[in-house]
Amino acid sequence: MEKKIAVYICTGCGIGDALDIDALSKVASKEFKANICKTDAFLCGKSGIDLIKQDIDGEGVNTVVVAGCSSRVNTDVFNFGPDKIVERVNLREQVIWCHPGEDEDTQMLAEDYLRMSLAKLKNLNLPEPFIGENLSSTVLVVGGGFTGLTAALESARAGYKTVLVEKEAELGGYVGKMYKQVPMKPPFTDLEENSIPALIKAVEDAGVKVYTSAVIAKTAGGPGMFDVTINQNGTDVEERVGSIVLATGAKPYEPEKLGHLGFGQYKNVITQLMFEEMVAAGKMDANKVAFIQCAGSRDQEHLPYCSAACCIESIKQALYVKEKNPEANVYVYYKDIRSNGQYEHFYKKAQQAGVIFIKGDITDISESDGQLTIEADDHTMGTKSVADEFDLVVLANGMVPTAALGETVEEAPAEDEAAAASDEPKVTVAPIIKSNLLNLEYRQGPELPALKYGFPDSHYICFPYETRRTGIYAAGVVRAPMDMLSAAEDATGAALKAIQCIESTLKGEAVHPRSGDMSFPEFNMNRCTQCKRCTEECPFGAINEDEKANPLPNPTRCRRCGTCMGACPERIISFKNYSVPMIGNMVKAIEVPEEADEKPRILIFACENDAIPALDMAGINRLQYNPWVRIIPVRCLGSLNLVWINDAMAKGFDGVLLMGCKHGDDYQCHFMKGSELAEIRLSKISETLNRLGLESERVRATTVNIMDYDKIPAMLDEFAAELEEFGPNPMKDFQ
Amino acid sequence: MEQTTKLPESVKYDLTFAREIYSLENGSYIKQCMQCGMCAISCATRDIMDYSPRRLFNLIKLGKKDEVLKSNTFWYCTSCCTCKARCPRGIPLVDVMHDLKRYAIKNGYVDYPQAAFCKAFWAEVAGRGKVFEGGVTARFYLIRGLDEVLKAMEMKDIGINMLKRGRLPMFPPKKIKGMGNLKKIIRKAQEIQRKEEAR
Ligand code: SF4
Ligand code: SF4
Ligand code: SF4
Ligand code: SF4
Repeated sequence: MEKKIAVYICTGCGIGDALDIDALSKVASKEFKANICKTDAFLCGKSGIDLIKQDIDGEGVNTVVVAGCSSRVNTDVFNFGPDKIVERVNLREQVIWCHPGEDEDTQMLAEDYLRMSLAKLKNLNLPEPFIGENLSSTVLVVGGGFTGLTAALESARAGYKTVLVEKEAELGGYVGKMYKQVPMKPPFTDLEENSIPALIKAVEDAGVKVYTSAVIAKTAGGPGMFDVTINQNGTDVEERVGSIVLATGAKPYEPEKLGHLGFGQYKNVITQLMFEEMVAAGKMDANKVAFIQCAGSRDQEHLPYCSAACCIESIKQALYVKEKNPEANVYVYYKDIRSNGQYEHFYKKAQQAGVIFIKGDITDISESDGQLTIEADDHTMGTKSVADEFDLVVLANGMVPTAALGETVEEAPAEDEAAAASDEPKVTVAPIIKSNLLNLEYRQGPELPALKYGFPDSHYICFPYETRRTGIYAAGVVRAPMDMLSAAEDATGAALKAIQCIESTLKGEAVHPRSGDMSFPEFNMNRCTQCKRCTEECPFGAINEDEKANPLPNPTRCRRCGTCMGACPERIISFKNYSVPMIGNMVKAIEVPEEADEKPRILIFACENDAIPALDMAGINRLQYNPWVRIIPVRCLGSLNLVWINDAMAKGFDGVLLMGCKHGDDYQCHFMKGSELAEIRLSKISETLNRLGLESERVRATTVNIMDYDKIPAMLDEFAAELEEFGPNPMKDFQ
Repeated sequence: MEQTTKLPESVKYDLTFAREIYSLENGSYIKQCMQCGMCAISCATRDIMDYSPRRLFNLIKLGKKDEVLKSNTFWYCTSCCTCKARCPRGIPLVDVMHDLKRYAIKNGYVDYPQAAFCKAFWAEVAGRGKVFEGGVTARFYLIRGLDEVLKAMEMKDIGINMLKRGRLPMFPPKKIKGMGNLKKIIRKAQEIQRKEEAR
């Protein structure tokens, strides 16, 4: 597309008063020879938009540069259809709202931002969506328990063809075996009938295709085009599906490991599930029952985490005993009662029914004549407590996600041998556990990457269901320990996400977090050296490999983070609207004053997900910060290519700062691994810098979350002060 | 810090006492105490109480009759209502404390002077329809016995000062109008109560 560029400078919102608009216009018309350059006092108003539209219709403008507010606002206003490129220059939030008006440095900043945008356009094109062949709109739900059935029902009721695969001969899972279930509706105090039979019927009525006694033997392809081999009673069936909900649930923690609580020693010490089955079978006639919470959970020797559902389940079971005999004695020994949310009412209900709750640690359980005695340290009273003549002791033995059951395969390290030998920091590799749930045909391993304790990794805050394999959504207790109310919510949420994925894939758009993005990475294969960086570093396993070790991208699996682009040492990966040369041009377009001018320059690569909004917020709050900075938004710090830093240092920038999201176990990186990878790459460049006689501290990374906006000015000022100590970049006057 | 004195050695659970307390007018509320301790940190007189309200409720749950009834906790409750206003479980602590006072008196746990005061105060109100400080004092010492009168003599200066400033009337006030009706009301209430207790 031949670009016809028109630049519109808005003088509203105080921009006209703070900046020399004529000088700014000259940058566009003289320096960059833009075809059209106009100003308007209210560009986002009707007159402004009409002005732009007239030029589009009359002059054939197809590339609109709006110099005014942040690209995070007025996106709908400045949308001129899919065939027009719109580029926004942030003169408001990041210039006049955080720097003094009518000031030389502020003016230079504004002019640089305009230059950067115009330089960017050289290598920017309209994305053409990737539309896969033979796309499917079917949702596959793996697991036919409470969560799986709910997800299947939701998806079918939303009008999507749904396939459900269950390992057992019967649907229903763990909840199916229950006598009654915990309350799911206000006032959250009453035991409810087991919902599974009704749920199964609803799923059947909704036309869900159900495979029981079936497992997933193989999952190949990607969103919109997963080819799934289902093995039912030994026979293989193929299904093509668009997205997958993983709802395989959890298994109770092995009670055999709880010998210290009497399991295996005394026949009247049983598990929650055994108690459930006992009551359901009408065989429960105990009149003095103790429930022991956190049996195995929250215990470094066993499960370090809280299993989240057992408190509420025990409360429910205590009420079974009271329901049968209101005079029965029921004790619950606990560490903390974790009856989250509405279940607080349920807890109170059990207390009102006369269940005794004792906060304490069990010190001994003994038996005589089939009756059990429990000794404990009572933490509320600070004494020893003894209670005897129990007919039954029930252990709340917690849960282990099915995703955690199996042998762990480490991903092959992303390093070449030389690097592996040195002690440079390495990417923490997410383990993949061969749990035999999905059997993915992915180069990166057969199951979902796990985070802690074997639960599938996902961005816990923003995208809880979205695993690190695009199009596969984990829900229910396989994702995290949770109660039934949360599982129902999870099931619904994951089903909606699965549907969203199908719809986006049909249009060739990215799913979260860049939903709607139609660009995807393209590989210039002639220059590929098969170094495998891209395949290793893509956080989402989007890139497979052919027999000759060439990367094989799967665009529908791609989340458009650009991590591969940042990783590629040959720089052969690019997007139509985001590429190494494009950002390189932006860096080069910035004017770096000579040393004698004493105007240092700091380049900032800021992540679009959190750092850029935080910078905008700093502006909105009129926080003033250092005028030497030039900010370039990046899709994710993972897309950072080291050549940009080389360019910047060679050009005479005094320092470079990377602003990304937090990484580590409690990461907030929207692309999970991006910010971590960027820091690792950074550690590799420091040696090069030192060799050039440049202090490696001139380039550094920092983490910012959206609420840190108030800390940004200090952050930038401190960095500037430290750079001042190093003195100006010696490369300054050699460019 | 809560007191660690007077704690029972080892707790054995006997729920008969707990059930008896639960059957008091506001007693069953105790069951829903979740031991959060809000009442304990809110209580103005907790420092001189044997047990904070929280601990007292726990002792009740565990069936520790003697510890509960011999404790000064409910006697030191000033009915300030702070705990009642703050309890996240909506327990009307002040009313529970009143129930416990009555229960203690009824069961002969009257060692604390407050028990005598309670009786004296009630007798005044029932007999006069209003309170006469002199009357309450006299009745109080009648119940407490001669030793206490001697002790009270030590406080005579305060009494005289109060008299001088008109804080302590010399002579009993007149009975309220309609004393007969008040008596009827009280009788009726007592009747209802007896019936309830018989249930
Ligand atoms: S839910 Fe309750 S019993 Fe279960 S692990 Fe958590 S605190 Fe312990
Ligand atoms: S690294 Fe990011 S952009 Fe590259 S293939 Fe993977 S998901 Fe797509
Ligand atoms: S505030 Fe209420 S719930 Fe909390 S300890 Fe006191 S009585 Fe119990
Ligand atoms: S009402 Fe009684 S128990 Fe409650 S805070 Fe006041 S004095 Fe303490």
